[in-house]
Amino acid sequence: MDERFVQVGIRPVTALPVQEKKQYKDKPIFSMTVFMVIAMGCLFCNFFITKDPAYMDLYNTNAAPGAEFYFGTDAMGRDIFSMIWYGGRISLFIGFFASVISTVAAIVFGVFSGLAPKWADDCLMRFTEIFLSIPSLLLVIMIQAILGKANVFSISFVIGITSWTSIAKVVRTEVKQIRDSEYVIAARCMGAGFFRIMWRHLTPNFISSIMFMVVMNIRAAMAAEATLSFMGMGLPLEVISWGSMLSLAERSLLSGAWWIILVPGVFLVMTLLCITDIGNYLRKSVNNRRSNL
Amino acid sequence: MRHKNIFLYYIQKFIVFVLSVLVLSVVVFYVSRLAPGDPLYSYYGDRVEKMSDSEREWAENQLGLNEPIHIQYIHWFANAIRGNFGISYKYKTDVIKIIGGRLPNTLILGGIGFVLIYVLALGLGILCTWYEDKWPDRLLCKIGTVTSCIPEFWLSIALIFLFSIKLKLLPSSGAYSIGNGENVIDRISHLTLPMTVVVVSHLWYYAYMIRNKLLEEVRTEYVLLAKSKGLSKKNILFKHCLRNIVPSYLSIMAISVPHILGGTYIVETVFSYPGIGTLSYESARYQDYNMLMALCILSGALVILCNIVVQIVNERIDPRMKKDEGLQVSEVIEIG
Amino acid sequence: MIVKGMVIIMADVLLDVQHLTHFFKINKNITIKAVDDISFQIRKGEIFGLVGESGSGKSTAARCIMNVYRPVSGKVIYKGINTCDPVEFRQNKKLLQTSRQFIFQDSTSSLNGRMKVEDIIAEPMQIHHVRPKRGTLRSEAEFQLYYVGLDKSYLDKYPYELSGGMRQRVAIARALSMEPELLVADEPIAALDVSIQAQIINLFKHLQKEHGFSILFIAHDLAVVKYLCDRVGVMYHGRLVEVAPTEELFENPKHPYTKALLSAIPVPDPRLERVKGAVN
Repeated sequence: MDERFVQVGIRPVTALPVQEKKQYKDKPIFSMTVFMVIAMGCLFCNFFITKDPAYMDLYNTNAAPGAEFYFGTDAMGRDIFSMIWYGGRISLFIGFFASVISTVAAIVFGVFSGLAPKWADDCLMRFTEIFLSIPSLLLVIMIQAILGKANVFSISFVIGITSWTSIAKVVRTEVKQIRDSEYVIAARCMGAGFFRIMWRHLTPNFISSIMFMVVMNIRAAMAAEATLSFMGMGLPLEVISWGSMLSLAERSLLSGAWWIILVPGVFLVMTLLCITDIGNYLRKSVNNRRSNL
Repeated sequence: MRHKNIFLYYIQKFIVFVLSVLVLSVVVFYVSRLAPGDPLYSYYGDRVEKMSDSEREWAENQLGLNEPIHIQYIHWFANAIRGNFGISYKYKTDVIKIIGGRLPNTLILGGIGFVLIYVLALGLGILCTWYEDKWPDRLLCKIGTVTSCIPEFWLSIALIFLFSIKLKLLPSSGAYSIGNGENVIDRISHLTLPMTVVVVSHLWYYAYMIRNKLLEEVRTEYVLLAKSKGLSKKNILFKHCLRNIVPSYLSIMAISVPHILGGTYIVETVFSYPGIGTLSYESARYQDYNMLMALCILSGALVILCNIVVQIVNERIDPRMKKDEGLQVSEVIEIG
Repeated sequence: MIVKGMVIIMADVLLDVQHLTHFFKINKNITIKAVDDISFQIRKGEIFGLVGESGSGKSTAARCIMNVYRPVSGKVIYKGINTCDPVEFRQNKKLLQTSRQFIFQDSTSSLNGRMKVEDIIAEPMQIHHVRPKRGTLRSEAEFQLYYVGLDKSYLDKYPYELSGGMRQRVAIARALSMEPELLVADEPIAALDVSIQAQIINLFKHLQKEHGFSILFIAHDLAVVKYLCDRVGVMYHGRLVEVAPTEELFENPKHPYTKALLSAIPVPDPRLERVKGAVN
């Protein structure tokens, strides 16, 4: 518009001070470093692994850790050192992907339930309860059977689809608290649709309260993948992941090849531990007030 | 007037329970039948491959598998209501009988595990609150976080490797040695490892929840008041704070049932412990439909019952909790 | 139609509220009549003030008019469209949502704390896929911000980084970005400091002159209404007890509640105040 109009009732505007950078104190630096090392190692494993992880060296089955095979070989003669880094990719990927699936499902379901009228909300919550009441192991087996032979995506999907309910409950409670705030009403007056309100207005405001659970879901998904693969319902042996590596563990019990059990397990537990530590940092601490006791 | 209301309230809860179980049965029935796979396999084993078409048809007819799913469901439902859950395809015996044989094993493992977890969790929770932010609390938190990160199956394998293979102290599988079913010591030695795994992998999860509840309680104003009146720390914590977290404690217990149940399933499978867990695993993998239905309804009903107990605790016993703000499992229920 | 001795030409009427009624059900036994059978008209280019004490149903009326609540009975006719009718509302959704804008009392909660000022102002344009007149959404937001008296350096700020008055200016800029014909302002100055109140009121007056839109201005401060509005309606316990042009209302209040309200206006002179007290 032209410069004709006059500004009225305005205080002089001064330039705003540049904000200082946030402090990086109290962050789980150790866990983050270890996690980054593992993640980077998996991502760029091609540059330093010594053997082809899929190659079966039949002369060296169940070889103990040594100069040639840093972490030994498994019952099929594959080099565990190479497999760890190579298979970590798939384990981490499944963790993240399943967590994304479950978070998206939880947000959509929770927001819908939180915004819906009371009777619909009751029905949806009852539904989640019933869904939860099927033992998740059985649910996973059945859904996996429907999807057919397991691959990385189907197993992420199965894990994601069976672990969204607890996040959805929290989302619903949060949405119920903020759905009557004026910015949501304002957005509705402007004509914003369900998805716009969900993504632009609601999600940014409750995301911090579910962030902890989302991170914990990554951990749970990775553990679940390992468990399923171990029980023979997850990834087949030829798809290398920490879980499928551990599925050989039971057989190695008798041969005394402890490294087949220990090495993937330690990597798995370390990664889970780092994720937990990062998650705990994200959780609102109860310790921010003084104890009265 | 009030009495009548309470009566109606429980009636209403009961109706919700029955309806939920009903919906659960429909869902499980459909989902299990959607899965591809040949249920005849679990009944006839390898003979299925040699069957002619007419024999196959006869066999399917015999098991009622060639009808549309909803008709099958109605048949199943009509029988189930009379307590007849059909026969297991795999064991060729009445489903109830097999479950009845396995149930005590799981109840011993899960039940004792459950009690142990809760007694220990409460103890640890109190200990951590008492020494909040001092070294016992910090140490316990660290150890707890590590134990809760170890997947159950891996812990089982590691323990088997250590105690059964290397040290040869404890048996690695089963509930008792063959022909030794009545020997209590034998039973206990078989139970030790699975029980350890069940307790260790769940304990911290709940101890931490109880610790946080207690810490919240300790930060309320009445504690300050009690302290200013000169009550001792012990007195405040055990007489006042502990009493106030009882409803939360009950809710956490009830909510944890599916979690611990799922955990015992995995542990049972790894240890080949003859309980409900191994049975469900088999039935789901090999399309033993009748068995699967009965097991799902059994454990589902238990879980739904627990949920309703939580609701009742939230709504009736603790007046501070409103309907919508009842306790949430604010953590992730892991697979298993 | 004759209202208080003044002829209103129907073609001039922008918003016609007829027998609007809204209840809130607290539980089975208690129902609160928030708005009870109110009727008034707003003409084009008019600033209509709605005054009353807290809880007299002003905000509820505004929300019924803006389709936040569906009124129990009565009609709200905007440009010949009955907005309370779901079918008619849906048919004219875009027109209704763009040409009527709402400004809330509390700018802290009416602006999403997780969005930047730029996104807040541009949001209505994004929703209705309006092509910005000044090229990009950002330059449009910048213009609107300038228009309400804020520097463009505020575009990348979050609401919590601004003061109350600035936030309210942002809320006004958001409403103006759609070039509305009716602005419903629900106590836009109640949460502000007195000195900022004057700025915002002047801004309203100025903008109205520039744009020529109508304003439904809700306030509980009569002095503000006297300064700003052309006509005033007085609400009391959910009812509209009196509607009159501002001067007439202040000189010759008809309803006893209006009289009581007027006598409550503080006079910034202790002697006069004493005299007024003596009269009452």
